[in-house]
Amino acid sequence: MKGIIFALLGGAFITLQGVANSRISQDIGTWQAATITQLTGFIMAFLILLFVRDGRGQGFKQVKPLYLTGGSFAAIIIFTNVTAIHEVGVTLTISALLIAQLSLTFIIDIKGWFGVAKQKIRLSQFIGIGMMITGVVILRS
Amino acid sequence: MVLGIVLALIAGSLVSLQNIFNSKVNERAGSWATTTLVLGLGFLASLMFGLIFEGKQIFNFQHMQTWYWFSGMIGVGVVVCLVQGMKLLGPTYATSIALIAQLGFALMWDSLGWLGLEKVPFTPQQLIGVLMVVGGIIVFKLGGGRETQKSSELT
Repeated sequence: MKGIIFALLGGAFITLQGVANSRISQDIGTWQAATITQLTGFIMAFLILLFVRDGRGQGFKQVKPLYLTGGSFAAIIIFTNVTAIHEVGVTLTISALLIAQLSLTFIIDIKGWFGVAKQKIRLSQFIGIGMMITGVVILRS
Repeated sequence: MVLGIVLALIAGSLVSLQNIFNSKVNERAGSWATTTLVLGLGFLASLMFGLIFEGKQIFNFQHMQTWYWFSGMIGVGVVVCLVQGMKLLGPTYATSIALIAQLGFALMWDSLGWLGLEKVPFTPQQLIGVLMVVGGIIVFKLGGGRETQKSSELT
């Protein structure tokens, strides 16, 4: 039960983040909104890191440099997400976003890119993506 | 309409890549060192794009409200909740629930128009669309043989 509440809240916060960024961007601009939320989040995470000390800073050296750059994508993610929310609303934005997210992860799994363990294709995954796309068509018609 | 959807698709693809990259860092460096790095780089990249596209205008915080400074804490909340959820439920169930919650709250937000976003009126058709997407997520994540999955569990 506790796990379900954490997971529900986690999802709710992801949506809230997009909505808050959209709201802030109306007042101060999208890049400014992205810069500020990331900066304050960074400071907060850094303070927690100092406190919990679960960090293994040397761990970074054992990771391929490419994988360390993931964080920088956030700039474009926030910009596209915020602009999409202004254009088509939150529901349609998140629906389309999730389709792209699950589909690309699915392709990466099948191809075994980025050193991910290769997965077999399951019919249910195609059906699932098909249903999600149908849902978006219903939403926008 | 099309522009918004294309932008959302770009965002989703990048989220997928980012999740895979971050999980690789996470394995070695732990979740808070990873979160700190990810948000720090996100900050630098946003600042850089801001300087490129808007120049000094990026430092113009005239219409800033106090709570804007705290919005970054939401991202920290995301990490805490997802890490705990995965610990307690395992990645497949935790991420499935989180994905569905994302959509449920999106629908709620549109219909209530909180925080001064444009209200999108709630219609039965919207509910059917969202239920269809939610059904798709469940079939995708939990349908068929449940062999151990790696990267798709993390998104």
